[in-house]
Amino acid sequence: MNSMRGSDEEKLDALFRAYARACPAPEPSANFMPNLWQRIESRQSFTFSFHRMANAFVTAAVALSIGLGVYISILGSSLNSPSQTYLEALAEANPLDTPDIVAPVSLEMPDQAR
Amino acid sequence: MLVDFELIRRAQKNDSAAFNEIVLAYRKRILGTINRLITRPEDVEDVAQEVFVRLYFSLDQLRTAEVFEPWLHRLTVNAAYDYLRKQRRRHEYRMSDLSEQQVILADAVAGGKADQDVQQQKKIRESVDSLLGAVSEADRILLMLKEVEGLSLKELEKVYKVNENALKVRLFRARQRVLKAFGAAGKGAAEKKES
Repeated sequence: MNSMRGSDEEKLDALFRAYARACPAPEPSANFMPNLWQRIESRQSFTFSFHRMANAFVTAAVALSIGLGVYISILGSSLNSPSQTYLEALAEANPLDTPDIVAPVSLEMPDQAR
Repeated sequence: MLVDFELIRRAQKNDSAAFNEIVLAYRKRILGTINRLITRPEDVEDVAQEVFVRLYFSLDQLRTAEVFEPWLHRLTVNAAYDYLRKQRRRHEYRMSDLSEQQVILADAVAGGKADQDVQQQKKIRESVDSLLGAVSEADRILLMLKEVEGLSLKELEKVYKVNENALKVRLFRARQRVLKAFGAAGKGAAEKKES
C-alpha cells in the first residue's frame, strides 16, 4: 500500500514537471503594452473623476455643515432670550407701581357735613 | 531579480518609462505563471494586464524595493484567484466549454493534423486541470506555485504572509486530495483497460 502511495507520489511529481513543460510562457502579443497603458489610463481617469466627485461632495458637505451651524447658533441665541409669554407681556404692561386696582372712591356728601 | 532596485524606486515616483521597463522585464514570467494557473489560454494576456494595472496603482504601497518580487507574485495570485472565482469552471471539458485554442486543437486532432507532441501536451494539461479540480481555487493556486512554479516555502511565506507551518499543513492537505483523485483516476483507467 505504502509503495503504491510512494509510486503515486512520484508519478504526481512527474506529472507536475510535465505540466510545467507542457505550459510554456506564451509570447506577449504586439498589443500587450498599448492595451496595458489604455487600461491604466482609463482606470486613472475613472479614479480622477471619482476623486473630483468625492472632493465636490466633501466641499458641499462642509459648506452645508457651516451653514447649518450658523443657523443653529442664531436660532440658539434667540432661544436664550425667550420670547415673552402672554402673562409676562401683561405684567410688563402693568407694573406693580401702577396698581391696576383703584381704591373705591369715597364720596363725601356736602350736605352731611353741614 | 530581473530589474534593479533603482528602477523600482523610479517607478514608485511615477516614472512611466521605469514602469514600462519593469513590465517588459517581467511580462513573460507573469504570462507563464498565469498560463499555468488558469485554464483558458486566450484569457492569459487579459489577466496578466490586470496584474500590471494593479501593480501600477499599488506601487506606492510597496515599502521597500527588496520585496518587489513577492509583491508581484501576490498580485498575480490575487488576479488569477479573482479570475478563477469568476469563471467557476471545473474539470468538465465538454465541447461547448472548450476555449478557443482548445477547440482549434481538438479540430486539429480530429483531422489528424496535430503532431504527437501537441496531443501529449494537451493530454497533460487536461489531466492536471482535472486533478486540480479536486481542490479549491485557492489551493489549486498554492499547489501550482509550489509544485509547478517551484517556489520555495520561504518564498510562499512572503507571498501569502502566512507562517511556514500553516502553509505546510495546507499544502499537505491539498496534495493529499490531489493524490486521492490521482489514485482514483489511475484505478479507473486500469479497470477500463481490463474490460
